[in-house]
Amino acid sequence: MSAPALDKLTIEHLRGSVRPFTLPFERSKKLTVVYGENGTGKSTVCDAFEFLGKGKIGSLENRGLNKTTRYWHSLGKKASDIGVTLQTRDGSQCRATLVKTNVVTHPVANRPQVEVLRRSQILALIEATPSNRYNAISRFIDVSGVEASEASLRDLIKGLNVRRNEAVAVVEANQVNIQQFWENAGKAGANAFDWAEAEAKRDPGAADAELPAINKLQQAYARLIDYPTKFANAKKRQESAIDELELARTEAQKCLQSIAADAGEVMSVLESARTYLAKHPSPLHCPLCESAENIEGLDQRITERLSTFATLQTAGKRTHAAEAETKRADVQLNSLHQQAQTDAASFEDARSAFAWSTDIVMPAATAPAEIEALESWLTDSSALPAFWNQAAAERQDHKRFVGTLKLALETYRENVEAQTDLDALLPKLKQALEIVEEERKDFTDTILAQIAAEVGRIYELVHPGEGLNKISLELDPARRASLDIGASFCGEATPPQAYFSESHLDTLGLCVFLALAGLDGPENTILVLDDVLASVDEPHVERLIEMLYGEATKFRHCLITTHYRPWKHKLRWGWLKNNQCHFVELSKWTNQQGLTLIRSIPDAEQLRTLLAASPPAPQLVCAQAGVILEASLDFLTQLYECSVPRRAGGNYTLGDLLPSMNKKLRSALRVEVQLLDPVTAATSYQSVALGPILDELTRVAQARNVFGCHFNTISFDLLDSDALGFGQKVLELIETLADAEAGWPRNSKSGSYWANSGETRRLHPLRQPN
Amino acid sequence: METPAQTLASKITDRLTKEGLIDASAAKVLQSKLAEGKLRAEDWQLPIETAGQKKAVTL
Repeated sequence: MSAPALDKLTIEHLRGSVRPFTLPFERSKKLTVVYGENGTGKSTVCDAFEFLGKGKIGSLENRGLNKTTRYWHSLGKKASDIGVTLQTRDGSQCRATLVKTNVVTHPVANRPQVEVLRRSQILALIEATPSNRYNAISRFIDVSGVEASEASLRDLIKGLNVRRNEAVAVVEANQVNIQQFWENAGKAGANAFDWAEAEAKRDPGAADAELPAINKLQQAYARLIDYPTKFANAKKRQESAIDELELARTEAQKCLQSIAADAGEVMSVLESARTYLAKHPSPLHCPLCESAENIEGLDQRITERLSTFATLQTAGKRTHAAEAETKRADVQLNSLHQQAQTDAASFEDARSAFAWSTDIVMPAATAPAEIEALESWLTDSSALPAFWNQAAAERQDHKRFVGTLKLALETYRENVEAQTDLDALLPKLKQALEIVEEERKDFTDTILAQIAAEVGRIYELVHPGEGLNKISLELDPARRASLDIGASFCGEATPPQAYFSESHLDTLGLCVFLALAGLDGPENTILVLDDVLASVDEPHVERLIEMLYGEATKFRHCLITTHYRPWKHKLRWGWLKNNQCHFVELSKWTNQQGLTLIRSIPDAEQLRTLLAASPPAPQLVCAQAGVILEASLDFLTQLYECSVPRRAGGNYTLGDLLPSMNKKLRSALRVEVQLLDPVTAATSYQSVALGPILDELTRVAQARNVFGCHFNTISFDLLDSDALGFGQKVLELIETLADAEAGWPRNSKSGSYWANSGETRRLHPLRQPN
Repeated sequence: METPAQTLASKITDRLTKEGLIDASAAKVLQSKLAEGKLRAEDWQLPIETAGQKKAVTL
């Protein structure tokens, strides 16, 4: 749904609006031309739209003012006094105010979309760097999100390509390894892989069971190895103990023989007495005989007597020790016998517990249970542990080899599978990437081509047939977010800045702005063009205005400010179609009044007003009618190439112009005036002959000079009705010939008549009759 | 209003679906992420890898 039509804009204390200023918009007219000399406040009107729509005032930017908000309010007012209100035909409104440095709009939903182009910015896009130019149009072609996703896809393909290459390399390496294993294994089977598969499937249980059995056998054998040495040592210990015992006993016998037969019992009594005296150091009498006679020094005498029994004592201790050692040696020897018997049985258990491969050699005899026979058995089988070690190592090697082979096969299979999967996936991913790239390029190229074509189309309206309309916009493939602009000049592709004139560049800048604004929801956009006509050279202004008339209809509203005076006069005279155009004029700005509007009244309307006045002023009527008649005849004589006296300055009088329109032409001249049925809205044409009007005007033309131009006594003799009749006839002519809204019939495209905009007037004939 | 990236993402997913590179159901999921630049490598791989698989099973 397009936005509602504008009703009025009220500006309070913004820039030049020292007093509240209201700009009303005419109903059903989408183009407003604000005319004013310099310093009338045109830019304030543009500022107000920009303040409301964009929250800024661009006219103050790039003037070295830094923060410009402090200059937004009118002199003598505060920032908080600023208010801009736009009312629309549906009764809604939007108001913007300045709160501190922020523009606050209420309601936000009604905030209008506004695009403002000022004369100072007209070349900005053309002369911008490619990156700034890109920024200006990025809102139409910014697909950076898609580009980021596209980069992920590209990275994925890159990564998977690396993975595929790695898989291929691993497959090749494993092929070589398996082939090598196969060759080393004697090329059994049909091929390396059949062999490897068969090898890998073989039961690993045999080797797994045999290795612990060998280990157990080795351990059992190792336990037997030390027995001969241990046995010899134990035997030797036993023999030494027996020898010592015999010696100790002999020594003890000798001692006993050298002392009394009851020495042993006496020594016992003495030792008991010494123990008693240790507990009772000062006895009064002998504890044995109860005599007190020799009690003195009894303790010392007992000690002296006991010392004579020490040799016997030592011999006794030695005998005890030798007996104990003999017993221990016997126990150890017995224990060794038993252990050797057990370990020999363990070895035999280990030997018989497994069905040994033929390459595992066993001792010829069973391990002897008698320790004495073990040494010769060990000697006979001493070479076997080395064989068993070798057998275990071989089995370990084979186990490792099968593990390696299995791993090689597994890795080979995995990588073949990975390669196969990637070979299926990668082409799809690449195709997807191609599609993404293609669609992205196509998308941006199409939009850029559309913009360029639109720029070219608008440009051609202003510079028809100059061959400068081949505008191109191209993204620089080597740089991101960089936009080049190109044009055709003398058939050569070239940057327009290089060869275009200033005026052509200005037009191009305006066309680029209009094309971009037209792409971004124009039906909701208020287009504001601030004084952009001033930069265009005179021959192109009229076409530029025509172009603006045409382009303005696309937008919600178009407001153009100008100080181009001919526009004002051409509109006043209806030389420009103004049925779409609402023309307002600003008078001189003053610091008391601020902005003020003047109503520009078309000349025909002024004449009608003068004729309707009561009482009418004949002199004013004739003066106004004379000017309109001159304008009408000037138009007709140029259109039909009538002969008029050639004169320096080209100022023709009624006396020159009226006679130049001969009888044949006058009788051929007729205007089809379009009539509108107010009820059915149907249109029809009424044919009005101009000849009789022109003839009558020729008859009464003198009234113009008599009444309207000079002091003349002849006027004393004429009636006021003659003057008013002249005025009425001129009004009849102008209203027949031209339409106040749709202008003069200047278009000969029909091939048989001249028509104005909308063909509300059709002027016949096309050419002056011969 | 649709952004240029959203418009382009829609065109791309339509084309990928038409070419049989992704399923229509995956296209809906991909579209917004594609426009927002949030499609990671794995987000691309899975739908392309699995495209057409359901169909094959159904057949």
